[in-house]
Amino acid sequence: MHSFKRIVCLAKFELVRLFLTKRGALALAAFATAWFLILYYLVSSAATIVTSAAFQEMAKQMFGMLGLSQLLKWPVPEMAIYWLLSAYSFPVFALFAASDQTCSDRTRGTLRFISLRASRSEIVIGRFFGQVMIIAILIFVTLLATSGMATYRDSEIFIPALMRSISLFGNLFIVVLPFIAFMSFINSFIRSSRLSLIVCSLFFGLGPLVIGLLEYNIGATTYLDYLLPGVQISDMLGQEKIIWSHFSIPLMQTAFYLVLADLTMKRSAL
Amino acid sequence: MSVLIRAQGLNKYFGQKHALNNVDFEIEKGAPVALVGPNGAGKTTLFSILCGYIKPSSGEVSVFDVRPGSSATFSRLAALPQDAQLDPRFSIAHQLKFYAQLQGLNNKQSQYEAERTLELVGLRDVLNEKPQALSHGMRKRVTIAQALIGSPEIVMLDEATAGLDPRHAREVREVVAKLSEQTTFILSSHDLSELERLCQQVLYLENGQLKQHQTLQQDESINFYTLRMERKETGFIEILSSLTPVVDVVNSQDKEYIISVINDEQQPPFDVQLLQLCHQHHWRYRQLINGKTLENQLF
Repeated sequence: MHSFKRIVCLAKFELVRLFLTKRGALALAAFATAWFLILYYLVSSAATIVTSAAFQEMAKQMFGMLGLSQLLKWPVPEMAIYWLLSAYSFPVFALFAASDQTCSDRTRGTLRFISLRASRSEIVIGRFFGQVMIIAILIFVTLLATSGMATYRDSEIFIPALMRSISLFGNLFIVVLPFIAFMSFINSFIRSSRLSLIVCSLFFGLGPLVIGLLEYNIGATTYLDYLLPGVQISDMLGQEKIIWSHFSIPLMQTAFYLVLADLTMKRSAL
Repeated sequence: MSVLIRAQGLNKYFGQKHALNNVDFEIEKGAPVALVGPNGAGKTTLFSILCGYIKPSSGEVSVFDVRPGSSATFSRLAALPQDAQLDPRFSIAHQLKFYAQLQGLNNKQSQYEAERTLELVGLRDVLNEKPQALSHGMRKRVTIAQALIGSPEIVMLDEATAGLDPRHAREVREVVAKLSEQTTFILSSHDLSELERLCQQVLYLENGQLKQHQTLQQDESINFYTLRMERKETGFIEILSSLTPVVDVVNSQDKEYIISVINDEQQPPFDVQLLQLCHQHHWRYRQLINGKTLENQLF
């Protein structure tokens, strides 16, 4: 059997894990509820505020200060608010959703059954793609809901909403990749999803601090912040212009963490 | 005979502990092989190396002439690792089908394979149950079923019958005996009588060293009989020793005797003589074994 088929088989199993198990269904229900609240109370009302004549000047000043004035020009304000919220919430959600790619299977010994039928690299890649597919589906669904909401408000913006959805899907998809790959790496040596999340919190919480102190002490740029997934998000947020680094940084980070995950997995005892 | 597994100068260290010490052996295709040894002898470590779960610290090991864990061994080598469990969130059918699909079977074939292997371990009815709904013994048999998916050439079972009731342990032994024509089983167990029934070759590990690597065949010139009596009989050893072909009688353990006999074609069969002697003296025997028990050979 080809390696590719085994990877597809492993990735498909991840989808089943989310969509066909009780735990997965509960996670989905929680996700849907959270996004319903976000869309109903934040996106919908914020879009109305941003477009209202009374608040337009204030919104311009506020968005301008934050470097987000380009977003006000979008014909579908719901999409602008969606983008602001999802650019940070989806990476966090991706970390949670992908926190148990291999660790509980390793602790339980299930990985031993799998490793007699698929190589460790295939397991890492298969599980990674499984998580990527899950997050991609969820991004797609939330974009669909946002477009639907915008179209419900004004049916003429259906096409602009659709076009913006496609572009945002691409942006968000690339944004979440290094987060999932980073979790693949953490999972290659940690034995519980809870511990994986703690390690992530420490990494994202203390990482910038440590890098800052290091750079302050040596008095030079170390470029170590490129190790932090999401380092480019703040630059992407304003959507002023599309630059190569918005895509190259997350893609390189993804490749880097997947290689690390693969190497660690190959060296670890099952 | 083709060599399936080859190990040369195999060493494994866990910190200061020398878990495997310069182990050499070869396993050929054929009858089941027993892996025996006391707790902590290195049996599970050896299993783990052969399955590719851990790497040896030094030495050479190959399965089907390739490194353990490489893709050439997929679908050809299967195992029941000690304490490994199925995922509690999915049904047995779902998981067995997934493993079968990883081995290259399509949806229909994998469904058939899940049903076939569960049938082999007497658990066809639990196909749609989740592992949590099963008893410990049933879960163990399901994990044995996963090792039989796709009829692999080597199946390694680490303590397969530990925790099973006698009836189901017997069923597992029957499965091993039935499939051992096309599959080479490597069995680790503390139940020596079980291994004796099934295996022709024994790997005996002690303190990480391979103490014996032998086939359970007898010396051509001397035959051994193991006789278990119901009670101790006065003058038993003396009377038995007076029989012409008897070379030695050893009281191996309580009410158990190992009798060494010269193999002489001219004499009437010794087991017949022995049973006649028991009948004459009204000795009640419990069991007569042609040969030494595995326990007596090893310890």
